[in-house]
Amino acid sequence: MAQIEIRDLGIDYRKPKSNEVFSAVDGVALSIERGEFVTIVGSSGCGKSTLLMAVAGLVNLSRGSIRIDSKEVIGPGPDRAVVFQEASLLPWRSVRGNVKFGLEMQRWNGGDLNERAMQMIRLVGLGRFSDYHPHQLSGGMRQRVNIARALAVDPEVLLMDEPFGALDAQTREIMGTELLRIWERDKKTALFVTHDIDEAIFLADKIVVMGRNPGHIKEVIKVDLPRPRDEAVLDSEDFNNLRRRLRAHLAEDMSSMQLVQEVA
Amino acid sequence: MIELFYRRQALFLGTLSMIGIVVLWQIAVDGGFINPFFISTPSQVWAEFIVQFEDGQVAANVSATLYCFAWSMGLATVAGILLGMLAGWFPDVEAALEPFIWFKYSAPTVAFYPLFVAWLGYGTPTIIAIAFLFALTPIYANTLSGIKNTDRDLAKAARSFGAKPFDIFLRVALPGSVPVMMAGLRLGVGRALTGVVVAELFGANAGLGYAITYYGQLMQTAKMMVSIVIVILLGVILTQILSFMESKTDSWRVDSGR
Ligand SMILES: Nc1ncnc2c1ncn2[C@@H]1O[C@H](COP(=O)(O)OP(=O)(O)OP(=O)(O)O)[C@@H](O)[C@H]1O
Ligand SMILES: [Mg+2]
Repeated sequence: MAQIEIRDLGIDYRKPKSNEVFSAVDGVALSIERGEFVTIVGSSGCGKSTLLMAVAGLVNLSRGSIRIDSKEVIGPGPDRAVVFQEASLLPWRSVRGNVKFGLEMQRWNGGDLNERAMQMIRLVGLGRFSDYHPHQLSGGMRQRVNIARALAVDPEVLLMDEPFGALDAQTREIMGTELLRIWERDKKTALFVTHDIDEAIFLADKIVVMGRNPGHIKEVIKVDLPRPRDEAVLDSEDFNNLRRRLRAHLAEDMSSMQLVQEVA
Repeated sequence: MIELFYRRQALFLGTLSMIGIVVLWQIAVDGGFINPFFISTPSQVWAEFIVQFEDGQVAANVSATLYCFAWSMGLATVAGILLGMLAGWFPDVEAALEPFIWFKYSAPTVAFYPLFVAWLGYGTPTIIAIAFLFALTPIYANTLSGIKNTDRDLAKAARSFGAKPFDIFLRVALPGSVPVMMAGLRLGVGRALTGVVVAELFGANAGLGYAITYYGQLMQTAKMMVSIVIVILLGVILTQILSFMESKTDSWRVDSGR
């Protein structure tokens, strides 16, 4: 059986200031193998974050189930760690303090916390900045800290919600390459939400394309580009074909979105 | 370096304008524009200060006032922070305390003075009680808003690592509230001092407020001004100490520009 099994998943939200509910995600089924790198793409508001947060155990399911290693997900657990899009670092803690935070919350007892934190900080290339505070770092550095914090707890599954969404194209590319380098070490299962088509292809073993109203899976595309990958792959024929295919998907979704706006 | 420069410049300008006022004051009286009976003169006040300092009045009054200040501020800090933390974390507690807060905002605290006199008699206990009430509100209100406005994204990140509610309170809500709590204490210090002096005006047998009423009734303006100036200086010094501590705790707040 696959490591992550999502069956018939549905998540309803209450509309603000009313008792109406609507489905942010409905009828989602997905299997993810151990060690797979899965990216999730889709237009804004199609429920990507909702799906990811459900796997993280941070939102309640309305229908269906999520199982990880055959265990039903009922809340957050030490087998998963999340990298958020927003700046979710504690501003009053240093880089090291922030990386230790997840370990502290999990009551980690696998040795010296400082040692463990420093190891992760070096891994993401911030060794010289361990005493800096978040406001003294660039956006890219902050996301490195977020990644280090998640890696520190040594999760089975790494969940990332547009971690590079706020970065410029160049930094984004560097961060993607870095992420792959780190991921190649022990190939832990990864779910990665993104808006960026190239990023989605570059990182993935498998791309999940989502559609809206309600959020559902339109297609799952396998990516067979050889690993380890570097920027050169971006210009390959296979990459271009995948890019075209994803563009068509998203363009379709965009036009239906415009239609909704015109009607409303 | 630049910050230090601006700080020094601010200090310099502030001192300069204070000196300006004192000089103007002296000139206005010496030049016959203002009757010295109303505000005395800096030189007379200084002369009276020396007298009161040497006969021990200054020390006695300052220590009486500071004694009441320390008790009222200490009690208000403990009560304000405890209640504020409870109310910030438990909406039910906030709802239960809400009426008292509205009551305190709308009714002047001094109006309770006769009531406290009836309960506690004239003197120190009543003065401490009044000043305590003066200082309590900003400390409570700031602590409450700090805890209540805990960053949701940070709380969510903590939960994703399996944090329990108490972990979130201790490691996210509380440290995140320290700067706004310190701001509450800074406001509280000013209020506590005001409370002590105001209560001393009405009934005390020592303290700066007492000395102000005493010499005021005797129409000895210069002697009265000594205590007024000391109260102002005390207020400035205490508030500055708290501002300094505040700046130490919120260096991580980028928006504060420090
Ligand atoms: N806490 C919530 N309460 C109510 N509705 C919500 C909540 N969170 C998300 N939604 C709604 O659910 C839908 C899906 O939101 P979600 O954040 O999952 O989208 P997304 O695909 O991640 O979008 P984006 O790419 O812009 O981040 C949206 O319509 C959003 O308004
Ligand atoms: Mg999202």
